[in-house]
Amino acid sequence: MDELEILKRDWKNKEHSFKRISEKEIYAMLHKRSSSIVKWILVISIAEVLFWTTISILTADDDYFKTLKTYHLNTILPIISAVNYAVLIGFIYLFYKNYRMINAIDTVKQLMISILKTRKTVQYYVWYNLAMVFFSFILVFSFQFMYDPKINELLDSFSQNGGNSKTFYFFIFAIYFVVAIVFVGLIWLFYRLLYGILLKRLYNNYKELKKIDL
Amino acid sequence: MKSSEEKEFVSQLEENQNIIHKICRLYTTDEDAHKDLFQEITIQLWKAYPNFRGDSKFTTWAYRVGLNTAITLYRKKKKAIDTIEFDGSYHKVKQEDYNFEEEEQLKLLYGAISELNDIEKALVFLYLEDKDYTEISETLGISEVNARVKMNRVKGKLKKILNP
Repeated sequence: MDELEILKRDWKNKEHSFKRISEKEIYAMLHKRSSSIVKWILVISIAEVLFWTTISILTADDDYFKTLKTYHLNTILPIISAVNYAVLIGFIYLFYKNYRMINAIDTVKQLMISILKTRKTVQYYVWYNLAMVFFSFILVFSFQFMYDPKINELLDSFSQNGGNSKTFYFFIFAIYFVVAIVFVGLIWLFYRLLYGILLKRLYNNYKELKKIDL
Repeated sequence: MKSSEEKEFVSQLEENQNIIHKICRLYTTDEDAHKDLFQEITIQLWKAYPNFRGDSKFTTWAYRVGLNTAITLYRKKKKAIDTIEFDGSYHKVKQEDYNFEEEEQLKLLYGAISELNDIEKALVFLYLEDKDYTEISETLGISEVNARVKMNRVKGKLKKILNP
């Protein structure tokens, strides 16, 4: 007899060896929370937006507005914030739409494609956030550089001590750049870990399926 | 409040629960994970139930949602313990069926299956369930020819383990 036939026979023999789940237990399960990855993507993205919103509300005290005024950022920054929130709401809407589009009765491949579409949206979201962070850094730095009295004092004392102002600019910009890169890098790493862990298995399975169905 | 829809669903699921148990058996290695996956499949089936219009059999539909959940949607709680040998001990075996040599072979086979990737497991599952290639291709969303080619490869892989 074929080895695989033995396996099939055994498989069928054991068909009724499972501990049966009662109707009552099934009812209980219907009201438990799902832990599907799609739901996780949705939950994490909403949590993230809430987190950043809370942070920005908590830090916006009088000092903050005064600083904005000194940097001449008090008109441009609220506009950027408004645009930013509009874009974020758009992303949340897309996440939700993707979430609704995902249907467990699709074929395995179609389901994976729908979820990977969600992943694409997540990726755009990540890129958008990183670009925004980098842009904000550069903006705040440049305005600080132009208007912060402390920077001007520093430059003055530097030149008085016989320093070259070119060297000064170079150092300041090098520091700005490194700080911006490190900051963006850390956020990038965070996203990679978060969504990487979440989607690694799905991605591997999708690759496997594509390999079969070339 | 239990709606009539809910009642109908639960009784159909209770009746056909073996399908889900069998999927859990292939995709999990211990009883806790088995229960966990069973629950997730139940939730997904219930969520998709409004889309189930009865134009296909409940079982056909359960196969698809079950595999989709095991392969794609489900998040393992613990780190995968794929390397642990398949534990068949919690499946009762009738005394008269016991055959030492066969039992050894089966152990090897189940061990080998637990090492397969998620897609290969799905193929083995559909083979063990006597599904034809049309249904396999419709479940996985790949062409019949490719399903056949891959199935033969997986079968070969399993046979090779028994006859190295």
